[in-house]
Amino acid sequence: MQNRRNSLFLLAAGVAALALPAVAAEYRLTGKSAPDFALRSSAGTNIRLSEHRGEVVLLAFFGSRCDQCGDQLAVLSRMFNTYKSAGLVALAVNVDDDQAKAAKFIAAHQASFPMLLDPEKTVARSYRVDNLPMLLLVDRAGVIRYAYRDFHSRDEAGYLAQTRQLLDE
Amino acid sequence: MNRSFIQSALLLALLATTATAYPADAPVAPTPVAAAAAETPAATAAPATAEPTTDAAAPVAAPDTRALDEEIQGIKKDVVDLNRDLFVLEEELLFPANTQVAVFLSMDVGAFFALDTVELRVDDKQVSKYLYTPREAEALLKGGVQRLYLGNLRVGGHELVALFTGKGPNGQDYSRGAQLKFEKSVGAKYLELKISDKQHKQQPEFEIKDWE
Repeated sequence: MQNRRNSLFLLAAGVAALALPAVAAEYRLTGKSAPDFALRSSAGTNIRLSEHRGEVVLLAFFGSRCDQCGDQLAVLSRMFNTYKSAGLVALAVNVDDDQAKAAKFIAAHQASFPMLLDPEKTVARSYRVDNLPMLLLVDRAGVIRYAYRDFHSRDEAGYLAQTRQLLDE
Repeated sequence: MNRSFIQSALLLALLATTATAYPADAPVAPTPVAAAAAETPAATAAPATAEPTTDAAAPVAAPDTRALDEEIQGIKKDVVDLNRDLFVLEEELLFPANTQVAVFLSMDVGAFFALDTVELRVDDKQVSKYLYTPREAEALLKGGVQRLYLGNLRVGGHELVALFTGKGPNGQDYSRGAQLKFEKSVGAKYLELKISDKQHKQQPEFEIKDWE
């Protein structure tokens, strides 16, 4: 009887453990319109997302304390240089509170696309950023099609395939 | 004791079931594999089925296609009309004429000021803060008028404060404010923030106009 109860408990706990990562992996804004925003870039110009309607946008969120953010920005920079003539736009949003740290990180990781500053985290909140780095692929109609809430070097192939698919649409 | 143990186990199982069921409600983007699978049959099947019919039915299909196209255009027009009516209805409901206040922004010349942000305060409460991109500033310089704020105010006296920031005459950071005390009567109220150049002072000028 005791064994049976234990097995029942283990079964329930196992099902719960399997289910929870699935919830964590789900990004609720996938398939929805990307919320519009306007932010100041580190270069001083203001950039509005809706002005890039008709182009495929790689929207990355990063912070200076994130280990993988620099690697992801390097990958995005390569992709942007390759596909910008085909209508690819890349925007990276820094969510640091400390603007000095943000500036230092941006200077250390020179990217060929605009680095936007969101110290008040209004844009990060509207995009429900819960992990860094986070990358969203927005199609030409302004819909969020793919979301990555982590970065592994193997993800680059996925980024490329999905970006090409969106550029071809 | 035994009962509570079993209950907690069942509760866990129930939680797990709802947790797995929940994401299914949200729209799910096709994974690359799923998208490829969805596209492949259509892409491969289309030529196989379409090719034999196009040759045989080409003369008959042309008028049908035209009629269908006209029908689609008609439906599109109906949707646009309906959308416009809904928009007007929504505005009338949300901002009825007796409480409506709208603030517009226009720029004239702009040689001494490059607009960056405008912050609006009504009765000491921030109601709008807008960041302008170069493209938007250019549109304003070409004569565009932007509706910066649409809201509701009670009948009576109110104060509007607008804070403008940007680059001044020598490309330096420039910040100025403009203030207007106005009386809201029954009927919609329209105010205009106007940025213009004061040639003799070589300075920009900021004013708020009340459209009576």
